[in-house]
Amino acid sequence: MAAFAAYTIIGLSLGGIFSLAALGIVLIYRTTGVLNFAHGAMGMFSTFIAWQVFYGWSHPFWPGWLSTLLAVIAGLVFAAAMGLFLEFAVFRWVRTREPVVKAVITIGVLLALQSAASLIWKNNQYHLPIYLAPQTATITISDVGVPVGRVGAVSWMLGSLVAAVAGILITPFINFDTTSLTLLIIDALAAALIGGLVSLPLTVLGGFILGLLETYPTIWIQSLGFPRLVALLVILAVLVVRNPRGFAVAAK
Amino acid sequence: MTMLRVRDMTVRFGGIVALDGVSLDLNRGEILGLIGPNGAGKTTLFNCISGVIAPDKGTIFFEGHSLVYAPPHVRARFGIARTFQNLQLWGSMTVAENLVVPMDALGRRNTFSDALHLPFSSYAERASMERARAILHVLDLDRYAGTLAGDLPAGIQRRVEIARALAMRPRLLLLDEPAAGLDAQETARLAELLHAVRERFHVSMLLVDHDMSLVMRVCDYVYVLDFGKLLARGQPAAIRSDPKVIAAYLGEESKKLEGEVATVVPTRPQQAPLLEVKQLAAGYGGLEVVRDIDLAVRPGEVVACIGANGAGKTTTLRAISGMIHPRRGRVMFGGRDVTGTSAERIAQLGLIHIPEGRGLFPNLSVEDTLRLVSNTAGHDVNITPAFELFPKLRQRRRQLVGTLSGGEQQMVALGRAILSEPRLVMIDEMSQGLAPTVVRQLFDIIRVFREQGIAVLLVEQFVESALDVADRAYVFEHGSIRLSGPAVELRADRKLVAGSYLGTAVDATAVAAANGNGNGHHVDPALMEIVSVRVPAKVKRALEQRAEVEGRPTGAVAIELLEKVDHQ
Amino acid sequence: MTSRLIFRVLMALVAFAVLARIPVGFDVGFKFDAGLAVIWAFALLSLVLLTGYVGQISLCQATFAGIGAYTAGMMSATFHVDYIVAVAAGVAAAFVLGLLVGLPALRLHGITLAIVTLGIALVFDRYVFQDHAFEWLTGGTGGWRVGQTSMFGLQMDSSKHLMGAYVVLLALFCVVALLMVNLHESGAGRRFRAIRDSELAAATMGVNLTRYKLLAFGMSAAIAGMGGAFYPLVAGSVSPQPFWLFTSLQFAAIAVLMGVRYVPAAALGGAFMAFVPDVLTRYGHGTLFGRPYEISYDWFQIAVGVLLIVQLITLPDGVWGDLRQRVLHMRSAVGGLGGRKVKVA
Repeated sequence: MAAFAAYTIIGLSLGGIFSLAALGIVLIYRTTGVLNFAHGAMGMFSTFIAWQVFYGWSHPFWPGWLSTLLAVIAGLVFAAAMGLFLEFAVFRWVRTREPVVKAVITIGVLLALQSAASLIWKNNQYHLPIYLAPQTATITISDVGVPVGRVGAVSWMLGSLVAAVAGILITPFINFDTTSLTLLIIDALAAALIGGLVSLPLTVLGGFILGLLETYPTIWIQSLGFPRLVALLVILAVLVVRNPRGFAVAAK
Repeated sequence: MTMLRVRDMTVRFGGIVALDGVSLDLNRGEILGLIGPNGAGKTTLFNCISGVIAPDKGTIFFEGHSLVYAPPHVRARFGIARTFQNLQLWGSMTVAENLVVPMDALGRRNTFSDALHLPFSSYAERASMERARAILHVLDLDRYAGTLAGDLPAGIQRRVEIARALAMRPRLLLLDEPAAGLDAQETARLAELLHAVRERFHVSMLLVDHDMSLVMRVCDYVYVLDFGKLLARGQPAAIRSDPKVIAAYLGEESKKLEGEVATVVPTRPQQAPLLEVKQLAAGYGGLEVVRDIDLAVRPGEVVACIGANGAGKTTTLRAISGMIHPRRGRVMFGGRDVTGTSAERIAQLGLIHIPEGRGLFPNLSVEDTLRLVSNTAGHDVNITPAFELFPKLRQRRRQLVGTLSGGEQQMVALGRAILSEPRLVMIDEMSQGLAPTVVRQLFDIIRVFREQGIAVLLVEQFVESALDVADRAYVFEHGSIRLSGPAVELRADRKLVAGSYLGTAVDATAVAAANGNGNGHHVDPALMEIVSVRVPAKVKRALEQRAEVEGRPTGAVAIELLEKVDHQ
Repeated sequence: MTSRLIFRVLMALVAFAVLARIPVGFDVGFKFDAGLAVIWAFALLSLVLLTGYVGQISLCQATFAGIGAYTAGMMSATFHVDYIVAVAAGVAAAFVLGLLVGLPALRLHGITLAIVTLGIALVFDRYVFQDHAFEWLTGGTGGWRVGQTSMFGLQMDSSKHLMGAYVVLLALFCVVALLMVNLHESGAGRRFRAIRDSELAAATMGVNLTRYKLLAFGMSAAIAGMGGAFYPLVAGSVSPQPFWLFTSLQFAAIAVLMGVRYVPAAALGGAFMAFVPDVLTRYGHGTLFGRPYEISYDWFQIAVGVLLIVQLITLPDGVWGDLRQRVLHMRSAVGGLGGRKVKVA
């Protein structure tokens, strides 16, 4: 029973992070019509910037909290700048194109970010110490969820920030490398789909449900890949339930 | 004999009841009209019958088969064909290919033999192509056979849709607003065509249209829907005088007749033109659609472009706004040469083009659509002015644009245009497919635009209303401008306009003109017969040659020959 | 046989003859690249069919190729069948998986379909190809080794007979590519394109969506699987890495970059994917201004990402589509010379 409670807590924390990542996706999708497949990669890159500041550039005599603070600020500032850059350099020019084209562009962003990160930080496993309590995740959600950006630039900046927060928050739980954080995208997309890519409250709820669903099976099944299967099944189930009428939704 | 029996059809979208227990019977050989205000559920009913959406409740029987679980293609095999209000041609294929697809699909062709170009496939292919050309010939679309369907203006696409539906050899034809965007003469011709199709192909029809003249002239029986419910049914004449129907559907239109007459007398100072087009020529592929277009719009002026379908109005607008490249000539906007500049750049200069079909994204909510303006403007835009202009949109701000009725969608498009603080708005076929009450409301908005100093260039089928609101007008004919002048003069001298064009007021003269002045459009009933039989290409060519020599219609020659064969 | 068909067959034969000669005389590394180029070209060709013709998005083409590779590897390593039988088994397995993936596509479109296929790619990448539960298929962590085998009854050794494998691959590719071009112009191709342009109209005009969408997914997976099935032969062994999620994303990116509607673009993309990174890593090191530098594979992937973004903004129809457009323009400008409008699918 104690184990069960522990898994519940892990699941909920994980779920909070999924929700947060998903919120960024929904935010950008609703305001700019871009489904951002690079969301995980953007969070990953910002997280690595934070890691770099924490381990690479901070002075060993600084107190832990100062390094952490600087690292988090650096990660967030970088995330905001990256969001703005993407809006002005890329997505501003494709505003009138079909949603699918924009989504494919984000795949280009994903590939570029992913390789740039693996170029800089190699394919090693990293770990950030626990200074950030996972509970903060839930608080941040309500803070970020309300002010939905009005302009593409703002929403890209916010979305990127949210991705960075999610990335930084998840790192105490896992040994992370460049790919595993990029792949957070699938869980975030699953949560976002539960909210229909529109509803923020449902997205948050979806994130938590997904977190629990992915955690409980690990009590019995020792498999690193199994949670991916859970995410896929959730996506399929949501799409079948949400789209019962066939064409009606798709009719252009 | 009942062909189509619809019982108790109910469809809900979320909280909205689109159809509420509608029942309907259609007899073999009948043309049934289905009318009602925008959002009454007509298209939803079509979607249920053609299997595009599944109803929540209700049954459909077609020729004794229950259709409840039949997917769309099975219904197509049973002989149900349809056209779409928001055109659904296959844009990357030629017009002829568009017709061949349904023929092949129903012929149960084999994918692998097709990919290998086996003789069986090649032969079937040629036969289909022949038949497609014949159908196009009958509908006077031959010259577009090799053009990509997506490149054609909407009016012609609409005719291609009918041609494509006929290519299926349907037994029941569902026509969703076939007369949208057609002028009175073309509507009259369409009515004639529909009658001919029924006679020759034994096709029953279910017809949705806003053009009452078409419905009244063509239909044997009319059903009226309002808010998803059956409001009335009866003979066309009875429906026309039914007070309930008038209240729901035509209500405000009658008021208009008494009410406002032309009020605006334009006295604009001779300012430098905001938009100036000189010797413009443009077209698609191998087709030059417009040439020698000279046109000017001064700041704050409302200018109407009128003329028959295919006269080149839409193409002109497209060339001005940069959607297509002008072939010759110059476009000046605000004193700047914008010929060949990208559409986006032109929009940023303050020239907003609302295309046919309104250019909206169906999966965005109203609010998000309006907010997108901020992106083009490059700064944050307050969207409340759009809601002030169209209070109705405020209630629907969260709804997806794709689920709005046509009139509401046009409101979103206009609202979006006004938010980007334009200097000139070009509106293509604003009132297409909309109920008269909505159209009137939209024309009032044009007046608001003028009061705010925004110039408007309008392409419009409702000539009367357009001339009411406009300062000046250009009359297009066969790809160039035939006439131009102050709207008041053009309106006063109707005959002047009628020389190249006929007003919307459908009366006996229009029909007579349509019959008399067929300029090659005239449907040759005998030829329709040919289309329904498969004739080898060689035979057909011989027939055509002979017809040309004898100076008679091909159909007549063919009928004569067939009769000879019969006698032997 | 129309003259156009004869022309195409001749083109395919010439392409085969020329391409088959090219790697001769180069070292083993380049011969390996040549084989790999055709394998990737198969995967890109499968996207031409699925996305270019039918308009369905897929981010799991590397999964289809991977299933082909693992099945062929398993057949060859455990049952010691003739390698061409192993390839057939790989193609069949990929076809079945394609049908399964096609099932959700019956209901989904565009972006949602992209999400689902991404999920599938991830499940295979992280779970099926790496989990103990599937060792019978994947051969465990080491994967399958294919050393000595036979093809068409002839002895094949993957290290010595790279050219043989390459020629067989190339011949198959030319045949499949030819069929693809033919398909585009045929009735079946038109039904596929009808689904792409307007699914709604296609269904109501009698095109059986269930059948054609499943067929498209099945055929596409089979094409990708055909390339993948040769992977163990060309590389000597098979591991999860070449078929992981990022390869799928790269396929999508490069297919779009080269022009997803055009068959020759697939060949171009395959060569691009196989040769460019190898050349870069081989010759891309030395000293610049006194500092040593080294170009790694990651630079290639960054370039792909950036090129894709630039291309989608500037040349929506892809590199090949743009080239083709320019050639057609030039031809129409020159006038009578090449008067006939040739449509190269």
